[in-house]
Amino acid sequence: MNKLAQKYLRPSQIPTKACHGCGIGMIENWLLQAIDELGLKQDDVVFGTGIGCVGRQTFATWGGDNFGATHGRAVAVATGLKLAQPDKKFLIVVGDGDAASIGTSHLIHAARRNLGVTVICEDNMGYESTGGQFSPTTPAGYVTNSSPYGMVEPPFDPCDVVQAAGATFVAETTATQWHQTVKIVKKALQNDGFSFVHVRFPCNENFGAYALGTRDTLKNLEWIYEHTQGRKADGSETDFTWETGIKHDASNSRPEFSRLLRDLGERVRARMAAGDGQGAH
Amino acid sequence: MPTATLTVRDGLVAPWAEWERRYTTGRRLLEAGTYALTEGAIAAGCRVFAGYPITPATDIAEYMSRRLPQVGGYYMQCEDELAGMHTCAGASLGGLKAMTATSGPGYTLMHDAYGWALTNEIPMVVVDAMRVGPISGITGAPGQGEFYVARYCTHGGNFETIVLSPSSVQEAFWLTIDAFNLAERFRTPVTILTDQVVSDMWEDLFIPADYDGLDFVVPRKSNLMMPFFPVGSAALDVPPNIIGRGTGVCVSAYTHTEEGYDIEEMEAQWAQSYRLVNKIRFHRAELTRYETVGMEDAEVVAVAYGANARTVKTAVLEARRRGLRAGFVRPITLWPFLDDLFERDCHYVVCELNYDGQLVREVMRAAPDKRKVHFMGKSAELHTVAEVTTALQGVSGSGRIPELPYIWTEVR
Amino acid sequence: MALFKTEKKAPRGPAGKWDVVVSEEMCKACGFCLHICPTDVFGWRKVTNRLGWFPIYTAHEEHCVGCMLCYQICPDFCIDVAPRAGGMN
Repeated sequence: MNKLAQKYLRPSQIPTKACHGCGIGMIENWLLQAIDELGLKQDDVVFGTGIGCVGRQTFATWGGDNFGATHGRAVAVATGLKLAQPDKKFLIVVGDGDAASIGTSHLIHAARRNLGVTVICEDNMGYESTGGQFSPTTPAGYVTNSSPYGMVEPPFDPCDVVQAAGATFVAETTATQWHQTVKIVKKALQNDGFSFVHVRFPCNENFGAYALGTRDTLKNLEWIYEHTQGRKADGSETDFTWETGIKHDASNSRPEFSRLLRDLGERVRARMAAGDGQGAH
Repeated sequence: MPTATLTVRDGLVAPWAEWERRYTTGRRLLEAGTYALTEGAIAAGCRVFAGYPITPATDIAEYMSRRLPQVGGYYMQCEDELAGMHTCAGASLGGLKAMTATSGPGYTLMHDAYGWALTNEIPMVVVDAMRVGPISGITGAPGQGEFYVARYCTHGGNFETIVLSPSSVQEAFWLTIDAFNLAERFRTPVTILTDQVVSDMWEDLFIPADYDGLDFVVPRKSNLMMPFFPVGSAALDVPPNIIGRGTGVCVSAYTHTEEGYDIEEMEAQWAQSYRLVNKIRFHRAELTRYETVGMEDAEVVAVAYGANARTVKTAVLEARRRGLRAGFVRPITLWPFLDDLFERDCHYVVCELNYDGQLVREVMRAAPDKRKVHFMGKSAELHTVAEVTTALQGVSGSGRIPELPYIWTEVR
Repeated sequence: MALFKTEKKAPRGPAGKWDVVVSEEMCKACGFCLHICPTDVFGWRKVTNRLGWFPIYTAHEEHCVGCMLCYQICPDFCIDVAPRAGGMN
């Protein structure tokens, strides 16, 4: 186990239950690097997850406090936790089902409120723990177990959604960009407000096997790399390209949600103390 | 470790019977049930309310939005009931007592969070102001359709739930404090099953002057060490887990070990089920709250809870005045069901605000002779005193309820 | 991994001054490290670990130039690369 994992993770929960070649562990390793470079301790960060591959594989790996919410509700639980524990950093690691499908309403309203949590959406482009069905981020036309003739629905970009909703930090990376991801997650954690980082990673057992036709871990990671760069090894263009990098950075430009509520309470109590009739009811 | 059988005695059997005697200085108000529920929560130390507006529980949200900032709490209006209850569970996990309030349509949305809070033993209070249904039904009419939904408020089985039901504005105040106490002691979400009449009704309400001086309120404690989940034990009064204190607790939706790690082994499932079921079953004596009248000589007993218990009780008193040996039972603890209240071998007339018959099925199960259990269902409005008196007389005379308009008596 | 390997450049130090530790009992044999390594440090074991995979091991530690690509890409927290004690001067 590498030194950062020894410092921050629980030895009893490593290795995780992830399949071989799954990108979840890579991304968690980069999250640890960002946390370490910011000088945060185990007790400073509360680690929240959802359901699915990302939830199951990362839950209880963090050495500090963990919670694994029901499907899609990690951000809703974190909203309550942030009210009670405003000084903690909340790292919410969820999948594309959690963030972009079942829990989108919580995500966009947390972004609207500028809730002080960092949401890492680890996107394997489908529901892989249930056997490889398409999700709202599966590229159009790709074959999955529930779109055997190709996915007919157009996908959407969760980054656009949370940015429109008012998130103060939005970025996208892929599992082939470690330096960029570490840099972005550091910035996201430094934002006292809602940060959203979308990271795509390869799945070999389902998305790779059905959409890309191979369980070869190297070919699947290469596919991610090609679509990050926009061209293939033979020089031809890919069918689509993900635009990675920081998409919106208004860090610390708006008051954080739990601070707004605390300030409201302080104003009300000050008015009561000054004899305003608001208090008597 | 089964509890001793209950000796049913007349009058109110509930902790607030004693609280009312001890706390007599305060304010006397004319207020609504929703106000009493709000003040009860504040008095119990509730500092977070997260919910979604829905008739007839909206007033609780409005009162909370005014009161919570005054006492250092947080009011949140969430995007939906799912978020509302999850936010409450999160806040409670962070160390603040929390409550949410809703009506039937929102209550069904909360099952997801309810199961999560229940499995992870997170104390909190849910108020369900029942209205007639199914689904939206009539928003301003009372119903009693969530009797079983409140018991099975999440899927998967292997759990017991605590459900309380007030029938007056004053009782709503005390009962809310009691609900918070039970939530803390049992480490579980507690449901207050009120209805549109009790919530919206205005009545005289006594509120003690000094909330800090209420010595019966169970304060929030924190469990700072292993075992975080005493699976395989039915122990009461285990302090709740806290996230954010660096204890390393893990809380999840999965079957868990003592540490909170997810596990897929039958033995772990058995141990977790043992805890979730028996922490409530073994301590049923702590959960006994009911009111009875005339149980020493009753030949026919009217059974009701919530709003219509008020008219039913009046009818029983009227029947007794006419010389009928009538009795009255009002279970305040709906779940776990107080089987011992129905041990007497006599006729039972179960009055409830639905046509399908819910409470009556449990009474049939608990009573010595289910052929002597009669159903008197009404929908969207309370039973009248005349109706219940007629029914009691009919059962007393001929052993069955006479035909009455808009009253359903068929259960099977 | 043709394109990926040729394009990923990382700072390199002098060879032979690095400790490369692979936690073989945790390795799930995805092969990322072996294929991304520019200096062929790693090799496959011929016996399985307790997870049932044929794990990677450090075959030629003396080739390592400290680019850290394997450390970054390992999805199972298995690889640690550190300057050899006293080796960097």
